[in-house]
Amino acid sequence: MSFLSLAALWFAVSLPVVVLFYLLKRKRKVRLVSSVLLWQRFLNESRANAPFQKLKRSMLLLLQLLLLALAVLALARPYFADYSLGGALQVLVIDASASMQATDVSPSRFAAAQASALQLVDGLQDSDKMVIVLAGARTLVVQSPTSEKAVLRRTIEGLQVSDAPTRLLEGLQLAETLVKDHASSEIHLLSDGAVSDLGEFADSEMKLVFHEIGQGSDNIGVASLDVRLNPDDRSSQVVFASVVNFSTNDYRFPVELWLDDRMLEARVVDLEKGGTASQVFVAQQPTNGVFTFRIEAEDQLAIDNEAYVVSLLPQPAEVLLYSAGNAFLERALHTSGTVNLQQTSDPTVAADEFDLVVLDGLIPQEWPEANLLAFNVVHTNWFAGWERADAPAVVDWKSAHPLLRFVGFDEVLISEAWSIATPFWAESLVESAQFPLIVAGEQEGLRRVWIGFDVLNSTWPLRVSFPIFVANAVQWLNPSMTSGHQLTTRIGETLRLSVDPNAESVTLERPGGQSEEWPITAGSSSLMFGDTAKQGVYRWGTGTNQVRFAVNLLDAAESDINSRATLNLAGGRLVEATESLRADLELWRWFALAAIVVLMGEWWYYHKRTA
Amino acid sequence: MGQELLDSDLLRRLERLQLLSQRWSKGALRGERRSRNRGYSVEFADYRNYVAGDDLRYLDWNLYGRLDRLFLRLYEEDRELPVTIFLDASESMTFGEPSKFRFAKQVAAAIGHVVLCGSDRVSVRVFPEPKDHHRLSLINVRSRHSSLRLLQNLSELQGGGQSDLNEELRKGAIESPHAGMAVVLSDFLSPTGYEAGIKALMARGFQIMAVSVWSAEEFQPTSYGDLKFVDAETGAMQEVSFGKFRLRRYQAAATAYVARLAEFCRRRGVAFWSVSSATSLEDLLLKQMRQLELWR
Repeated sequence: MSFLSLAALWFAVSLPVVVLFYLLKRKRKVRLVSSVLLWQRFLNESRANAPFQKLKRSMLLLLQLLLLALAVLALARPYFADYSLGGALQVLVIDASASMQATDVSPSRFAAAQASALQLVDGLQDSDKMVIVLAGARTLVVQSPTSEKAVLRRTIEGLQVSDAPTRLLEGLQLAETLVKDHASSEIHLLSDGAVSDLGEFADSEMKLVFHEIGQGSDNIGVASLDVRLNPDDRSSQVVFASVVNFSTNDYRFPVELWLDDRMLEARVVDLEKGGTASQVFVAQQPTNGVFTFRIEAEDQLAIDNEAYVVSLLPQPAEVLLYSAGNAFLERALHTSGTVNLQQTSDPTVAADEFDLVVLDGLIPQEWPEANLLAFNVVHTNWFAGWERADAPAVVDWKSAHPLLRFVGFDEVLISEAWSIATPFWAESLVESAQFPLIVAGEQEGLRRVWIGFDVLNSTWPLRVSFPIFVANAVQWLNPSMTSGHQLTTRIGETLRLSVDPNAESVTLERPGGQSEEWPITAGSSSLMFGDTAKQGVYRWGTGTNQVRFAVNLLDAAESDINSRATLNLAGGRLVEATESLRADLELWRWFALAAIVVLMGEWWYYHKRTA
Repeated sequence: MGQELLDSDLLRRLERLQLLSQRWSKGALRGERRSRNRGYSVEFADYRNYVAGDDLRYLDWNLYGRLDRLFLRLYEEDRELPVTIFLDASESMTFGEPSKFRFAKQVAAAIGHVVLCGSDRVSVRVFPEPKDHHRLSLINVRSRHSSLRLLQNLSELQGGGQSDLNEELRKGAIESPHAGMAVVLSDFLSPTGYEAGIKALMARGFQIMAVSVWSAEEFQPTSYGDLKFVDAETGAMQEVSFGKFRLRRYQAAATAYVARLAEFCRRRGVAFWSVSSATSLEDLLLKQMRQLELWR
């Protein structure tokens, strides 16, 4: 227990008043009489006849009546509309991520969080203020600081949960800035703790109270979904999906693969607790379409039981190779899919009308305006300086990057390479101990992949990873492929959409079926779309020129709905979930109530002795 | 001390009085009261058939001459009247100026004297019970010669202690071998009441007289202000704020108490007197009691 208003203890000065009461208590003369029987009769009769006659002279009674009236007034909480100095600031960060849709607490975790939030509002003192931050797809201050409980309640009741992965970091950082200038402040986090990004959150001295919501873990989710051209049969597509069982039970459930409105295949999957099942489907795809992968399981989180991927039919890429002769590279390019390859060793040939240009140690006189795959080329404006380095060892590579999918650099030896610094537009994919060996990035709307050594002076072409890398690179650099991959994204992420420059507006149809018109700035060819808070397939375009793009959750951290009792912050700081909701229950009502009871008891006792 | 209790002039006047019993006497011994028993007084009562062994002196020879059958003449028997005086000697009786207890003793002595002079038997039951020798010499006293000793013993009684009027009356009703006349001398201020005791006496067949003795202080309290009264008998405490403006209300309450007692007695045929301890004895004994025909 603690005191909300310590100053009220000054009222203890009134304790001597009690002593005064006792002094007021009458000193009575003692008389011995034959019997008090007659006196009792007399008092009984006079009390019955004149109940108010006694009140006239009883100072004690008046005082106690006054006390009682005051206590009752206090219970009624009277107030004057007046301005007062600001009290404490409480920041309520409510997690509105997809995992809060879990139904392990009825009706849902988000509803439970709302109920907890309302409790916190109830516990708010009159001078306290509260800010409500909703951490959904984006972090929003949904209620600016106010002490109006009705407003706060209305705001909380109107909140909506999103499909987005947890973004508590932004919410907490926002909360931190809000409380920075406040002497007494508290941040209340209402979340299930299913969050991965808090390790970067270095909180200062702020007071963070974590209210854990949720208790179940019964969930199966789609962790990844991808579609690829079938390498064995280029007329078909291969759909990869992985399903993870986060619950503590083994599950047996059907999964389905749909192409648009047509079910292609259904099968039953057995998945032990904590296990992952990879599913591979081979599907014929006659037209561009959207693959939907669906788990038919009764679990506690429904949103991750579906995922979508947009699949465009492959367009052959026009590739120009500047090379003095590299059999490995040529062969790898030929086998990398739908490629129309032209080769030249003449730097004067202009690379117009090509989707992709490959430089193998040669630099054309006219710099090609296309996506570039460059081997062993440094004399460009990409780098500030370079020098040769002998026998660099490959120490690390980013296997998560699409270029390095299924590519490993084990047992790859390089005799010499260019030592450069990674340019600002690129990221380093493969690194030696000192410098990057492969970088990739996007510059002025064109993609570039740069390999800093001659593959012929390495053992890489002898490894199976080389042709896979070239295939990945062709796919990554192929503009039509690019657009296909770009049309599938995660919830909350932005998407670059190409638009008809002549159109005045485009129509956007959201997964729920609502459609809206978006005006287009004249002359712009692309548009950044960030309103991807809802999972599903969006339709976008003008007239019949429709483009579909899919927005997925596909977040294993979000699908893992085990609620965490502890948050890990930066610096190893742990925030334990509070056992019960600290709602600042004001105890004074009970004290006042007890005072009344005591008072009545005292009055009864007094009467018992005197009547 | 006997002389102090009742002066000799009063005693002489009392000697001339005769106790009037409203009922047939139920005493065991012969006395001077009519009873329903058959015996050997001068009052003819009835005839009955002669059976062998009857006293031939009581045969009615005239009847034999006329009817040629033997009849025995029966006469009423005179019996004594047992009178029990219940004397409340509890602490509350010691109050008053003069003391209620002394007044009650005087009344008891006077009644006892009249009873003994009338050849009846008197028992004075004092409660709470005094020391043994007093008690013994107060029970079953007969003959006018014992009167002086009764007076003596009564005058030596000291009040004090706690008693339960109901219980004492009930006990007296049970323990008395013969119901007769019962005189209750008390202030009737017992916390448990008096009703049950008087009813017990009535059930036993007693002819009852109740004398309620008050002290002037009880009707005219002289203490005012914020008071704490302590019951001398029970020790009970009562805080009272009392002023002159409430005196009449108090007096009304006290009067109502006595009136209730009187009404209770009247309804049950109990002779009742309510007297202050300051009342003159002669007035009570020779006027009030005569008016109600306790004696003549």
